[in-house]
Amino acid sequence: MEFIVLSMLNGLSYGLILFLLAAGISLIYGVMGILNLAHGALYMVGAYVGWSIAVQNGLNFWLAVLMGGLAAGLLGLVMERVFFRRLYKQLNEQVLLTFGFIYILTNLSIWIWGAQFRASFTAPILAGSFHVGGLTYPIARITVIFIGLIIAVGLWWLQDKTRVGAIVRAGMDNKEMTMSLGINLGLVSTAVFFLGAFIAGFAGVIGAQLMGVSPTLSVDILLLSMVVLVIGGLGSVQGVLLGGILIGGTDAFGKALFPELAMFFIYLAMIIVLAVRPRGLLGRR
Amino acid sequence: METTNLKSITRLWPGQLVRFVPYIASGVILILLPSFLPSYMQSMMTKILIFAIFAMSLDLIMGYTGLISLGHAAYFGVGGYTVGALMVHYDINMLWISAPVGILMAALIAAVFGLIALRVTGFYFIFVTMALGQLLFSIAFKWEWLSTMDVEAIVGIPRPDIGLPWFTWSSISFYYFVFLAFVVCFFLLNRLVNSPFGYALQGIRDSEPRMRVLGYNTWLYRYIAFVVAGVFAGVAGVLFAYHNSIVVPTHLSIITSALVMFMVILGGTGTLYGPVIGAAVIIPLEFYAGIVTPERWPLILGSAFVLSIMYARAGIGVYLSRLWNRVAYRYGSVKG
Repeated sequence: MEFIVLSMLNGLSYGLILFLLAAGISLIYGVMGILNLAHGALYMVGAYVGWSIAVQNGLNFWLAVLMGGLAAGLLGLVMERVFFRRLYKQLNEQVLLTFGFIYILTNLSIWIWGAQFRASFTAPILAGSFHVGGLTYPIARITVIFIGLIIAVGLWWLQDKTRVGAIVRAGMDNKEMTMSLGINLGLVSTAVFFLGAFIAGFAGVIGAQLMGVSPTLSVDILLLSMVVLVIGGLGSVQGVLLGGILIGGTDAFGKALFPELAMFFIYLAMIIVLAVRPRGLLGRR
Repeated sequence: METTNLKSITRLWPGQLVRFVPYIASGVILILLPSFLPSYMQSMMTKILIFAIFAMSLDLIMGYTGLISLGHAAYFGVGGYTVGALMVHYDINMLWISAPVGILMAALIAAVFGLIALRVTGFYFIFVTMALGQLLFSIAFKWEWLSTMDVEAIVGIPRPDIGLPWFTWSSISFYYFVFLAFVVCFFLLNRLVNSPFGYALQGIRDSEPRMRVLGYNTWLYRYIAFVVAGVFAGVAGVLFAYHNSIVVPTHLSIITSALVMFMVILGGTGTLYGPVIGAAVIIPLEFYAGIVTPERWPLILGSAFVLSIMYARAGIGVYLSRLWNRVAYRYGSVKG
């Protein structure tokens, strides 16, 4: 029983980090038709910035989270304004361009922060554990779960209940029509891109304290968030959240029961979903 | 058009022949040039031709069928790993056995992965192909059977035994062997894309619903193209294992997939000469960057990705072919 609860909580915290990343990719693709493969690299940059503020310089953890998010957000802003503008609906070119950014950001990160793995850390504010009944669980992980769920609700509210969300959804369905209604979709796109990149960097910092940081993260975490998107389906916050939690749970139970094979359970989950529901469990269209 | 006289026919001929000049010229260069080069350059040209086969195979699905795969290195790596495993575990190095088995394995994996990946298209297809490629990468990384001497790689693959006891390989003879394979692959792929089947693929690329309405089984066409591309990638992988003598998990991974995709886009998608030109640009760049600044190579490569997408999006090959058409047109009309 204790094992099951702990694994579920581990899976949930991991899954929510994957959700934050995948939700950004889904949102950006939805609004702008841009497949940003460099999202994982933005996560990694955020994680490194946060790591050097919180661990190297020993400053406040929330400052690190904010700065990690801002660093990724600003990088995303530059990428969007300078490069992606001109590549709407050209999937070939987007893939290669964003992959180029993965190379650049990863190599620059190695240059700045070194190639070695930086171990996970616990911020002093989040040290200690909760004791409920016979269970103890680290506060740091509980915080990640809380933050993840709050952002999930926030994104859902933003996308389904606000005017901005209505514009975003309209843009997903028909970009030209939305623009012809006099809506400044360019501005909305930039804002959405910044938000997505900010959340990626933000997730990087809170993820780094659970999993550490390394340069290979930019591809590894991207791969996992893509599996999340395949499982959950693009377009809805709920779908991505479901995908994230399922993958986090699969990973946590897999690692606890069959450590050597954990990776393969994730692929297996993806293949099963593709066989049954190719558009994802809750995919739009 | 109705009145065909002798004069207009003779006028046509130089124009028709002129079309083949680039092929003849590059053929002559590829045959003659290596004999005058030092052996490391011969080896580099061998690698260019191998990656040209690999890039052409990706272009068959990317440029002609419209399926963007970020996991194409899987079939390349499987070909190479099969050759390596046959050598290490079964002591088989006979070309007539190890090459066909390597290609067959690549085809089998492509046939299985195609069934999974072609459940979806577009955006999802990129994800699934990438994930499947990374799956093989992690298998190769973790499975000790595919490692030699405590490194996650198969090392020491010799050039193949072709069954003639008096024959020994040199870098130039291996180059001509690869060149022969390249010519055969180019010819076959050229026939394929200019066949009714190839036109159907291009129709699917441009408008899948229309082709479906016309009665084509578009899924099957895509699937066959996917497997055929896997076969040619397997050919390249087998040759690369012989050439490189080491196969590492990275040869299966997204790093290699993205590199070969870059060759296709840089050269020009939807042409067969484009990927060849892409390979001919990237491989030397990689070679010299590897000498000058190996640790910054990813940075250079990434910048090259970004710059070429921003400034040479149609592909170098397409620019060159336009240039050539202009020259040929002028030549043809003056000669008239």
